[in-house]
Amino acid sequence: MAIQPLNSFAEEKTDSAAAPAESRMALNYLCSTDSVNLSATLTIKRGDMTLALENAVVEFTASNGTTTTILGTAKTNQEGSALLSFPSALLPTDKDGMVSYMAKFTGNDKYPAAEATSSAKPAKIRLFFSIEDSLRILKVTATQKNEKGEDVAIPKETVLIYIPRLFSLLKIGEISLDETGTGTLEFPKEIVGDTLGNLVVIAKIEEHDKFGFVQGKNVINWGVHKQYYKAEVPSRELWTPIAPLWMIITLLVMLAGVWAHYMYAVYELVMIKRLSKKDKPLF
Amino acid sequence: MELQQKNPLRDFAPQLERTSIQGYVWIVFLLAVIGLGFYAFLQQVFLGHEVTGMRDNVVWGVYIVNFIFFMGVSYAGALISGTLHLFKTAWRKPIIRMAEFITIIALLIGPCFILLCIGRLDKLHYLVLFGRIQSPITWDVIAITTDIFGCFIFLYLSLLRDLATLRDYELLQLPNWRKKLYKVLALGYTGTPEQQQRLNRATDIMAAMVISIAIIVYSVLAWIFSVTLQPGWHSTIFGPYFVIAAVYSGSAVLIVCMWVFRKVYHLEEYITKKHFVAVGLIMLVLAAFFGYFTFSDYLTKWYGSEKNDELLIQLLFKEFYWPFIISNYIGVLLPLLVVGIAKFRTISNITITSVVVIIALWLNRYIIVVPTLESPYLPIQDARPEWLNYSATWVEWSLTAAGVAIFCLLFTIASKFITIVPLSGSQGEEKKEDVLV
Amino acid sequence: MEEELNKDQKNSRRQFLKKGLIAGAGVAIGSGLLAAYVDTNAAETGEKVKVLTTDGEIMEVDRGLLKLPRVSREESHKGIPGRKFVMVIDLGKCKNARKCVEACQKGHHLPQSQEFMKVYLLQDSEKTAPYWFPKPCFHCDNPLCVSVCPVGATYKRSDGIVLIDNERCIGCKFCMTGCPYSTRVFAWKHYPEFDEDKEPYSPEASSPGKEGTVSKCDFCPDLIRVGKIPYCASACPMGVIYFGDVDEDTVTNGTETYQFSKLIHDRAGYRYLETLGTRPCVYYLPPVDRQFEVDRGFGDLEESVKDRYKDTPYSKKNKP
Repeated sequence: MAIQPLNSFAEEKTDSAAAPAESRMALNYLCSTDSVNLSATLTIKRGDMTLALENAVVEFTASNGTTTTILGTAKTNQEGSALLSFPSALLPTDKDGMVSYMAKFTGNDKYPAAEATSSAKPAKIRLFFSIEDSLRILKVTATQKNEKGEDVAIPKETVLIYIPRLFSLLKIGEISLDETGTGTLEFPKEIVGDTLGNLVVIAKIEEHDKFGFVQGKNVINWGVHKQYYKAEVPSRELWTPIAPLWMIITLLVMLAGVWAHYMYAVYELVMIKRLSKKDKPLF
Repeated sequence: MELQQKNPLRDFAPQLERTSIQGYVWIVFLLAVIGLGFYAFLQQVFLGHEVTGMRDNVVWGVYIVNFIFFMGVSYAGALISGTLHLFKTAWRKPIIRMAEFITIIALLIGPCFILLCIGRLDKLHYLVLFGRIQSPITWDVIAITTDIFGCFIFLYLSLLRDLATLRDYELLQLPNWRKKLYKVLALGYTGTPEQQQRLNRATDIMAAMVISIAIIVYSVLAWIFSVTLQPGWHSTIFGPYFVIAAVYSGSAVLIVCMWVFRKVYHLEEYITKKHFVAVGLIMLVLAAFFGYFTFSDYLTKWYGSEKNDELLIQLLFKEFYWPFIISNYIGVLLPLLVVGIAKFRTISNITITSVVVIIALWLNRYIIVVPTLESPYLPIQDARPEWLNYSATWVEWSLTAAGVAIFCLLFTIASKFITIVPLSGSQGEEKKEDVLV
Repeated sequence: MEEELNKDQKNSRRQFLKKGLIAGAGVAIGSGLLAAYVDTNAAETGEKVKVLTTDGEIMEVDRGLLKLPRVSREESHKGIPGRKFVMVIDLGKCKNARKCVEACQKGHHLPQSQEFMKVYLLQDSEKTAPYWFPKPCFHCDNPLCVSVCPVGATYKRSDGIVLIDNERCIGCKFCMTGCPYSTRVFAWKHYPEFDEDKEPYSPEASSPGKEGTVSKCDFCPDLIRVGKIPYCASACPMGVIYFGDVDEDTVTNGTETYQFSKLIHDRAGYRYLETLGTRPCVYYLPPVDRQFEVDRGFGDLEESVKDRYKDTPYSKKNKP
């Protein structure tokens, strides 16, 4: 799909409109178990201002130097990020197993083209859970493909263990892999999971020269069951919309008492008025 | 049967029939003050509350002080007239109507001041539509509404006999519409035994109601402050303290009213030194109570010396030194000395004391409201002087003056409508011994 | 057209959420990203709103282009399901850079004279150490401000956030005296900054402000809804302010993420003026292992801000 004509405000209406627009692309790469996730972020720099560009089409390609595969296209979101996921089995690799990725924005009459590249070798991290001597053990293995396409260990790397949370990843430990690409961690207690105690656990190799970002993911019910905050439960507090019962009763009793007396006084006045009518014939 | 009471009416007729030039000047003056207040009000409406001295720390200022003050005065009227009625005190007759007028007029003015404090008057009806029972402001809205109705009924009951008298007094030179008005309002009351009986019964009940509601209203008002956690406000004693302070200020206002009407309408014959001394003695007792409550409130704060209470008391003795001395020392001791020592008890002495007491009690509310807001738990750190210390602006003072002017104006109008001294009393009371004097 | 726009909005929100998920899965999407963006499809309305980039710059963006979700007033009463928000402020790291204050003011379209976040210079007693004390709303679990409101204009939601609906607020200011932490601010007049925000009002955004009503720190539920931490937390260059879901036992300042219970336990976290019984949702870590001298806090302040602290015991002692 073609990019819509860019009728951006930045062109005509801001002070820095005079400055030429400069497109910038950043490409982030993440290899998860069976796929690679690419995220390209497109920003427009104009003078001192930086804006994310939304709805721009970014084309992703992968190459091994000889052949180039078009992985697909994606549109940037509100934050200027275009996301694409692609099965790692279909990637073209060179003799070292490396893949070169490229994200490309072809540009249009208002915004110049931009591209970014990144290269990495696909790898895999797997997570296994076991209970040994009543200890909860998380085991992690990291593998890569050799020339024959067999899985072989990634030795001596550091793997970080995270739990995804609402705003960010909570790091719960670090594992140093041994020669066989394996490492273990005693799983910490008192990590809050969902209401059933389920936890998503993520193991990551980060910013590796060769592998880039690699992550594996698994789910286990070792979490503490999440207790929802029960703000709905107190329904008759001072601060809730509905008042405590005693307060309503006290108020009603007092009001009823007072107004009943008022009514009585008014009734007496009415009676006084009536009496005068009755008396009238006498005068 | 009412014949013997036509004599006094002849004395009062001029008061109802015509207004002197001085009277007109007085009314024009009051209208001018009210006009200024109205201009100030418009300023506040169109320019925002920024024209007042209130800022984020001192969010309530002179308006709330006036609100408490007028409500207090009102309460005093209710309690004094109600009690005097219930105890059938003989000497009450010449002054009881003033007390009733004070009640109702102050009660109409007081709430207006809290309205001035409200940021969005256009949404005032939300108080009814979305009222939350937990909020002391809701209690206040309910209580004040109830109080206004009660006081009107009580006032009306006590006016009924006089309205009938005015209706029947044919020599009165009044326009026809006023005569008709008296006729309608008098409800055909002719003083038959059954009518009297019913009227007395209703009045007794309403007197009791007015007393108790006034206590509730004033306690609720105090609770607006004491339910908060603010140092100096968070006090259990505030309910009764406010009630006492209210009656105290009201008794002083009553004495001043007595003096003014005595002079203006030449009521020397009716309002005598006896009355001044009697109300003065009431004021003396209240002064003692007020002093006691004040002392006990500050003593506990000072003795326990919680950090923020201590800061508050420091503030009171530094920046609020004179208001504090006037309201809590002079305001207590002066009536004790002047009324307490027989030879000082002259009409003018008692009146002057009352004026001092009124000022002292106004200042008392000021040093309850403002210093607390100026010393919150977190110290005020601000470079803007008006955010550090409250000082009322001309807008607030103009509206305060307008409030007093409205009070005077309504009183003047009321005294033109009906005699300021009741013409008739309930049967049989005059025979009772005068206890106090 | 409008429908299309709405659809678009929904789409982009979905994308947002998706993005959040993927970010959760570990794509290191640059943290320096922007709250403002250019929508190449969006229709221009010609009206400008100032928005803030996370590196603290203001920019003017076409109104139709600014899309933080704004829920209706009714919706804003409910709270985000299954969440209970908490803030942790590390006093050891604060150097009064005031970025939190500025970001908050820009994000909520506040005038200079209104601060939802205030920074105090406190010293508990003469011989104890002075420290900088950033103070948002504590979103108390026993909120006196809510109790005293006569019209229900301020309310506590299921996610613990205390909000104000300025369409309902009558401006009686009772809540301001009810709050023992001087948290609430009043619009003493109509400030021009209120007009910058052309979006429909939502209590979750606390914007646009309204003359004669009360407002305060709102924990930025509009940002939370798109998976972001409040303006103050993300703007702080020192990472002083942590924010998160207490039921998830996690707080983050954008770069570091901690287990809430462990952080509070290890660093002896406390709540300010616990004795008042208001049960705040904001915790403080004591000012130990300072990264900065207190004096650094006076560094680049404007004179008017510096003057605020001239009467504090600390300043008086140091500048005789």
